[in-house]
Amino acid sequence: MGFLAPWFLVGAAAVAVPLYLHLLRRHTTTPQPFSSLMFFEQRTQSSIRHRRLRYLLLLALRLALLLLLVLAFADPFINRPVASASSGKLLLLVIDNSFSMRAGSRLADAKRDATSVLASRPPSERAQVMALGSQLQVLTQPTQDSVGLSSAVNSVQPSDTRGSFGELARALHSMAESANEPIELHLFSDMQKSNMPANFQDMVLPPNVSLVLHPVATKAMPNWAVESVNAPGQVWDPKKARVEAVIAGYNTPAAMRTVSLVVNGKVAATRMVSVPASGRATVEFDSLNVPYGFSRCEVRIDSADSLPGDDSSLFAVERSDPGRVLFLHESADSRSPLYFEAALSSAAESAFTMESVPVAQASNVMLSKYAFVVLSDVSSLPSVLENNLASYVRNGGSVLVAAGTATGRLPRVPVFGANILQARYYSNQEDHFLNVGDADPAHPSVQKADRWSGVKFYYAVRVDDSGSRVVARLTDQTPILLDKSIGEGRVLLLASGLDNVTNDFPLHPNFVPFVEQTAFYLSGTERRSGSRLVDSFLQLRTSKEQAVSVEVIDPGGRRPLSLKEATTAQSYQLTSSGFYQLRLANGRQDVVGVNADRRESDLDVIPPDVLALWSGNTSKESVASSADQPATEKNKPFGLWWYVMLLVLLAAVAESWVASRYLGTRREEL
Amino acid sequence: MQRFLDPAVLARISDLDLVARTVVDGFVAGLHRSPDFGFSQEFAEYRAYTPGDDLRHVDWNVFARTERAYLKRYRGETNSLLTVLLDASNSMNYTSHSVSKMDYARFIAASLFYLAIQNQRDAAGLIVFDDEVRNYIRPSTRQGQLARLMSGLELAEPHARTDFRKPLDHFQEFLRRRGLVLMLSDFFEPPERIVRTIEPLRFHGNEVVLFHVLDPREIRPELGEPAILVDLETRERLEVTPEYAQNEYRQKMATHIDELRDRARGAGMDYFLLSTERPLDEALTEYLSIRQRRN
Repeated sequence: MGFLAPWFLVGAAAVAVPLYLHLLRRHTTTPQPFSSLMFFEQRTQSSIRHRRLRYLLLLALRLALLLLLVLAFADPFINRPVASASSGKLLLLVIDNSFSMRAGSRLADAKRDATSVLASRPPSERAQVMALGSQLQVLTQPTQDSVGLSSAVNSVQPSDTRGSFGELARALHSMAESANEPIELHLFSDMQKSNMPANFQDMVLPPNVSLVLHPVATKAMPNWAVESVNAPGQVWDPKKARVEAVIAGYNTPAAMRTVSLVVNGKVAATRMVSVPASGRATVEFDSLNVPYGFSRCEVRIDSADSLPGDDSSLFAVERSDPGRVLFLHESADSRSPLYFEAALSSAAESAFTMESVPVAQASNVMLSKYAFVVLSDVSSLPSVLENNLASYVRNGGSVLVAAGTATGRLPRVPVFGANILQARYYSNQEDHFLNVGDADPAHPSVQKADRWSGVKFYYAVRVDDSGSRVVARLTDQTPILLDKSIGEGRVLLLASGLDNVTNDFPLHPNFVPFVEQTAFYLSGTERRSGSRLVDSFLQLRTSKEQAVSVEVIDPGGRRPLSLKEATTAQSYQLTSSGFYQLRLANGRQDVVGVNADRRESDLDVIPPDVLALWSGNTSKESVASSADQPATEKNKPFGLWWYVMLLVLLAAVAESWVASRYLGTRREEL
Repeated sequence: MQRFLDPAVLARISDLDLVARTVVDGFVAGLHRSPDFGFSQEFAEYRAYTPGDDLRHVDWNVFARTERAYLKRYRGETNSLLTVLLDASNSMNYTSHSVSKMDYARFIAASLFYLAIQNQRDAAGLIVFDDEVRNYIRPSTRQGQLARLMSGLELAEPHARTDFRKPLDHFQEFLRRRGLVLMLSDFFEPPERIVRTIEPLRFHGNEVVLFHVLDPREIRPELGEPAILVDLETRERLEVTPEYAQNEYRQKMATHIDELRDRARGAGMDYFLLSTERPLDEALTEYLSIRQRRN
């Protein structure tokens, strides 16, 4: 027996206090004067003896309470043999089933090795089987059931996830926190280099885990892969859609590869590409001729390597008609439509077609067929058209209003509704122009437009910005771009013109992304990517779309979400490669091509010295501890403070009881 | 006024004369229309004047009607000599609250002196004793007698232990004239011995009254735990248990009081038990009313 904090034993001196109070102080009772002892007799009553006994019991309890308290603080322990604990060692078999284990016979080799380890263990030893991908998947609980363990090993299937030794270490750390028993970890893996975390420290295992490695691959194998595909998620004009693919070779010699673009199972185009040794080559397909609706596409190479899973890259494309944009302007203004249409057609991948109509002729136009409307610096607006525009916005339509010199003469901005406070000409400024001072980078219109840096504004209309969101301001704090929600629709106000008279914005490179982003923003069209990676998450609904059922159909044609999950799940993790078919909460149908993480395609293995360091770090400790086993096995400290505190509690209760009885007697006497 | 007669309140007044006046005036006021209180205030008879009598006592109304001089005599004239025997032994120093037995006895004595001299114009004297006679002030009606008596009371500090026998021999010398003898003591002696010692005073025709002054804790002691008690007179120590003090002591004290009362009355003496927590006027009123009934 020993003490972890022996200095606290000094506190035992505190027993002097009750000793003094009970014994010494009691005998120094001050005599009380009395007029005459004529009627008194010296007599020791039996009740006094009883009370003295109780008094001594109280003293003993108080001494015990103090001593136990001191003992508890000194943290006593006894050395208990840990032989029984040693026999309770857990044999943990972890089989790597990441995407790279599909190469050759790696997974089968790993399962065979695991089975042989299971067969060689003592029957009384408990074992547990887990599979390692991006997460550690528990296949069995700790058990001695050999049949169950073997079944679990055989049930391990290759996955498309990316292996992570960092995740393995993290999971084992949390296991070690909950269980103090030693763990003998057998890892069956191809020891892929790309599975290592960035920091080696992140894969160091806890001290009570001894690592035994079972590598199923000892050297890097050549592998070709379609590393990435850059393809649009939506196509409006097939002739303008382009597909770009990067073909990578890992530990491969220079070779010619045939690259095919496959659309809905049919080869649409083929290219030959020369891939340098352990290098990359880019292939470009100039058109993507897909039918209307969703098409399932892939870029495929002929590689004939050991890992065929990464020889193709999947993506989905949706073809639809381009949106229509109505551009209303004064008859005399020919520049604004020219600049806007040029920017729209060059940037937005032909997602929009623009119709330019003078405002005087637009009274009878059906606004509902347009994705959004541009109202460019009109001096007057026919009341019919103004009413139509207001109704269009209230019902969910969007309008971009440009307020140039003509609109600046009006008392209020049409459709937007804000009063015009002042029309400002900056030609009298020192530099004859003003730049944008503040811009809200969260707003889509300025997000990619480099905050309109360098754009010169010679004229701006200052409007009342109450009730609207100011997206950008000039350096004199004049709001230059404002956003306002009206009804279900949206109106964006540019407090200057779209020509190159009131500013040089149309001539500026930032104008194109501004027009593109504004067009997508106002039309409500989302830019979608048709491909994702395994283990990434798909958002199924927004916070406003609760209690609406969604539908997910995985590449195997199964519906992985239960009915409850279909109404509550916010997102879904893509677990395997292939095409996922989705019906989202907003009612939109979608198809997503999912590919394995291409870092799994690099089959390079961890160098032996690193592996030795990894297993040696832990194994050295375990070897050291096993060497000391005969000595240390018998000397594992077992803390006793908890039991001592229990005794303290009991002593305190007993002391209170005896003290209350003693004092109670005294009260009766009084 | 009543609250001033609380012994605890009076103990804060340092002037004994003032204490006496406060007590007497207080309880006189409380008696309302009772002029015939005191030792000798009640009219008894007329006596023919003889040379040497004090002319102040001649009833001039009777002389005017009858042309004969008569003196007006009162009943009190037969015992108009008041002597207070004050026990000044150490046991009188005991107190369990703000008033010691000695103080209480002083207050009683002072009040009686005041009553006798100021109200009755009787002669009053004082004998202070413990195991010896410590002070003796001869009874007198002279000017300044009250001040002398008060001073004697002030100087009466408890010293030794009580012994009635030795001072009583001296009392015999002092008490030649018969009168009223008041003894203030805690009487921690066997009742038989006390009465036997004091009894001779009675033979001279004195009227003897025993004032038994006791502290309430002497009658009903309260001990929370076993305690060591020290006798104030003998310095003897004794460990006493609360149970004993609770039961047997009280019984013994009650027996002692009863026996003393019985023996005193049997010997023709009056006996009054005075607890020091009792208001002074209440004690005096009781005493005087009992005396009045007897007379």
